[in-house]
Amino acid sequence: MPRLIRLCLCSALLACGGAPDDDGGRVLRFNLRTEPPTLDWNLAADSASFTLIEQLMRGLTRLDHDLRLQPALARSWEASEGGRLWRFHLRRDVVWSDGEPLHARQFVDGWRRLLDPRTASEYAYFLFAVRGARAFNAGEFDATRLGVSAPDAHTLEVELEEALVYFPALVSFMATYPIRRELIELHGDRWTDPENWVGLGPFRLKEWRHEYRIALDANPLYFAGRPWLDRVVAYMIDDFATELVLFEQGRLDLVELAPLEIPRYAGRPEYRRQPLLVGYYYGFNTRRAPFDDVRVRRAFAQAIDRERFPQLLRGGEKPSASWLPPGLLASNPGIGLAFDPARARALLAEAGVDPERLEPVVVGYNTNDPRHKLVGEAVQAMWSENLGVEVELQPREWKVYLKQLTVDPPAVFRLGWVADFPDPHNFMELFTSSSANNHTGWADAGYDALVERAAREPDPDERVRLYDEAQRILCERDVPIVPFFVSSLNLAVAPRVRGLKPNALNAYSFEEVRLD
Amino acid sequence: MSPAGWVGVFLVAALALVAVAGDRLAGQSFDRQDIARALEGPGSDHWMGTDALGRDVFARTAQGARVSLLVAVGSTALALGLGVAYGGIAGLAGPRWDGPMMRAVDVLYALPDVLVIVLLSEALNATLGVVPDLYRRLAALVLALGGVGWVGIARLVRGLVLQAREELWVEAARSVGAGPARLLGRHILPNIAGPILAAAALRVPAAVLAESTVSFIGLGIQPPFASWGVLAADGFAAMRSHPYLIAFPSLAIFATLLSFHLLGEGLRERLERAG
Amino acid sequence: MIRYVAVRAAQALGVLWIVATATFGMLRLLPGGPFDREKALPPEIVRNVEARYGLDQPLAQQYASYLGGVLRGDLGPSYKYLGRDVSDVIAESLPVSLQLGAAALALALAGGVSVGLVSGMRRGRALDRGLVMLSLLGVSVPSFVLGAALILGVALYLDWLPGGLWESPAHVLLPALTLAALPLATIAQLTRASVIEVAQRDFVRTARAKGVPERVVRRRHVLRNALLASITYFGPLLAMLLTGSFVVEKIFAVPGMGRFFVTAVTNRDYPLVLGVTLVYAALVVVANLIVDLLYAWLDPRIRVRGESE
Repeated sequence: MPRLIRLCLCSALLACGGAPDDDGGRVLRFNLRTEPPTLDWNLAADSASFTLIEQLMRGLTRLDHDLRLQPALARSWEASEGGRLWRFHLRRDVVWSDGEPLHARQFVDGWRRLLDPRTASEYAYFLFAVRGARAFNAGEFDATRLGVSAPDAHTLEVELEEALVYFPALVSFMATYPIRRELIELHGDRWTDPENWVGLGPFRLKEWRHEYRIALDANPLYFAGRPWLDRVVAYMIDDFATELVLFEQGRLDLVELAPLEIPRYAGRPEYRRQPLLVGYYYGFNTRRAPFDDVRVRRAFAQAIDRERFPQLLRGGEKPSASWLPPGLLASNPGIGLAFDPARARALLAEAGVDPERLEPVVVGYNTNDPRHKLVGEAVQAMWSENLGVEVELQPREWKVYLKQLTVDPPAVFRLGWVADFPDPHNFMELFTSSSANNHTGWADAGYDALVERAAREPDPDERVRLYDEAQRILCERDVPIVPFFVSSLNLAVAPRVRGLKPNALNAYSFEEVRLD
Repeated sequence: MSPAGWVGVFLVAALALVAVAGDRLAGQSFDRQDIARALEGPGSDHWMGTDALGRDVFARTAQGARVSLLVAVGSTALALGLGVAYGGIAGLAGPRWDGPMMRAVDVLYALPDVLVIVLLSEALNATLGVVPDLYRRLAALVLALGGVGWVGIARLVRGLVLQAREELWVEAARSVGAGPARLLGRHILPNIAGPILAAAALRVPAAVLAESTVSFIGLGIQPPFASWGVLAADGFAAMRSHPYLIAFPSLAIFATLLSFHLLGEGLRERLERAG
Repeated sequence: MIRYVAVRAAQALGVLWIVATATFGMLRLLPGGPFDREKALPPEIVRNVEARYGLDQPLAQQYASYLGGVLRGDLGPSYKYLGRDVSDVIAESLPVSLQLGAAALALALAGGVSVGLVSGMRRGRALDRGLVMLSLLGVSVPSFVLGAALILGVALYLDWLPGGLWESPAHVLLPALTLAALPLATIAQLTRASVIEVAQRDFVRTARAKGVPERVVRRRHVLRNALLASITYFGPLLAMLLTGSFVVEKIFAVPGMGRFFVTAVTNRDYPLVLGVTLVYAALVVVANLIVDLLYAWLDPRIRVRGESE
């Protein structure tokens, strides 16, 4: 062989030589599909970030896979004044991954930061039940008057505006976790980089290669004992075929199944289906024409044939025209606008909209889940068939899509809502005027008042009545959103993985996972 | 022409037929959804099967032929026009203009096609206010592909014009007072048309490939339109369970590239033999 | 020779300057860009961008500070990654792309030249016909089709190599092969043509007639001229590899610059798009410069012509 060719082949081999480190040991690999927007639990607002924070952090309480409330950092808690005052007793054996002991003060810091208007957290409204929180978040007075305090290192006292029976479930949510204020002040935005990161979950952040992978190592200081796994690697593979091939080669242990693959996997031992408390909906940007007109919104809602979605997605989707998913108190399938193309056309004509002359309606969706494109194309056809309007699909990457929603949402946008805790309040509060996760631009004082009253109502029957009324406003009268269906989690899990228990909140921890 | 060349001619004609009459052959529209019959493999009703939304894959591949070939032929025509004009002027204008003009071409020639196409079509898409939204991407893509393809043709034309200038009959035409435009149009171009057309025939598969690549990575044609690249991208995502979804559009692209290559080579050989 | 090098280097710098100016112009023209104040961007980004470009200053000054930034390797903040600069993203992803590109380049050159030589020296025989057919197939198969075939065949059914990711030398092979196929086939066609042409030239005939052994003829004359032909082709070859990397990095989940370019375009992250464009342009220009110099060194006639210009 000529020398030059040999030289070429040698350099080809050399080029292959620059391999990254071997993960070694007991490693679980899964596909997260997308770069998580942040690992800061005061700021996180999406499921990719939540999935990792679930491995990295713990809070006062925790919901297990049957959604039963379990103690976590809090050993026990008690209420007084019928649920207006709460006292949490912290475990004494908890240390952060840098060896620093847990202090009740760190919860106070976390809650202040979450509610601080300068933090601009989308989840600030989550703690509005705490005394003074709403006013503090509106910039009206300073943090010292917030109803949360740490009388000693292991006691946290909370004073609420009104009694709230589900408060311990609410503090199982990530936005309420404690923080290390001094480290965040020291490192600024970069405190979530692996070299600065500190937490107190079963795993700690080891490596973050953007748009490629995040590696988590077992935390030997974890208060419930070091997990069995040495390392968890989350990849950001956005190609659904590649992800599945890697799973079938045994190079990934866990992937979410694309709709097209579900029929082939159904009945196999790798296949797991978990019904979720997840609502899938399309929202309208009610600030801009033509969706500032409620008749147009209703027309578009009644042109949706929901029965097509389970056929299309094949993952156990349950069509739903109302917002509260089955499994939650006050779920009521009788509410909502049914499919009625004739009525839809009439409404559009009534609103004076000529479908021929309407600008194409932009529908935004994120690309990290293959279902969204299928749903988008199906809806594109439904609106074109039933209303005669043109639809332009606008795919965006997850991180950018979320940014777009907060800054300037498209005319119609796809979103889902995963319950943060299993109470209807969590779903209904989403569309109140103070929720930063409400991207529709719609605000209704009557709706706000109903939701607030229902949260305080001790009588379940009365609570259901209030939620029914609020749901009618949301899904029948004003229609800022169109609920499509309630989804399930469809996973392919390698047979060697034991002890993985996803719950209906789409949360799974690798803490108890073992590999055969 | 060589037998291979004739095979190319035949295949190109067959493709053109499918592109023109595809929806009649399929018996249904490319965007009709029938979700109850989604993901059926090739069979007697849908002989290339149906996709995830129950659309007929043959109708979509035929529609893809229409879009892909339209984009490729349209952009090649544009490239041909631009390239002949630019190369002709550079060749006739003399060294003072020729040098800088060819340097500029070298810059464009050096950059990766797809990169320039993506940038151009993004910029055009944002500025083509007059074109209706749905067709804007299509138009932007044609313009961008043309905007990349003319460079090679310009180089070729300039070289041929420079050669022709030295020929006696051009000298003769010039001595009887033919102006540059007349010289180029009447005397030079007809004589060098052969190699230019052969180059254009090879430009078409390059455009088909570039279009399918750009569409495959999601930056080209958008739904509800379908080009082969779009179909291949959808098929790629589904290839594990439903390989026919990627096989048919891939086969279409492959057949097109092969037939135009054969045709282009055939033309070139024939010209060489004639010359 | 020195003069020639200087002229060529100056030309290359000029080209880069033109591309940098064009990217600055595009940043200003594209909607949603940093200079478009109608679009509401997150405030932290607006602050960064304003600080970076000095938007209140006159156009000439903005342009000067942009060029200054480019010279220092500062390509501005990304819209998409809060707190990260375009240069950070490129520093992370460029080495991956270079590794992949180098492996593919080596495969394409070694494979293409070998196939072309073998085929050209046995012109018209069955082996030649087979190889010609194969290279025609090679230029007719898009990389995503070949990639799909390799992933399904080599990775899934044979389970010889990983079907994606970027972890070890084994992970490089399939993407590199996919990327190399098109340039390999093209080089094979070129080399074959050049071998056939050289074999008919007078000096080769003379050498053979003088009784120079066939092996020596081949090595001295045929191989050398054939290599010269593929060196000329180096510029378009590099462009071809870069183009291919967009698709290959996507389907094999390789964290290289091509993937960032595609997502940046989808996300309208223009500073990142144009930063990556500038890096690509620089790569291509520098490679072409090296090729020109190499060529001039191998073939003195070019050098003389270059100097007389």
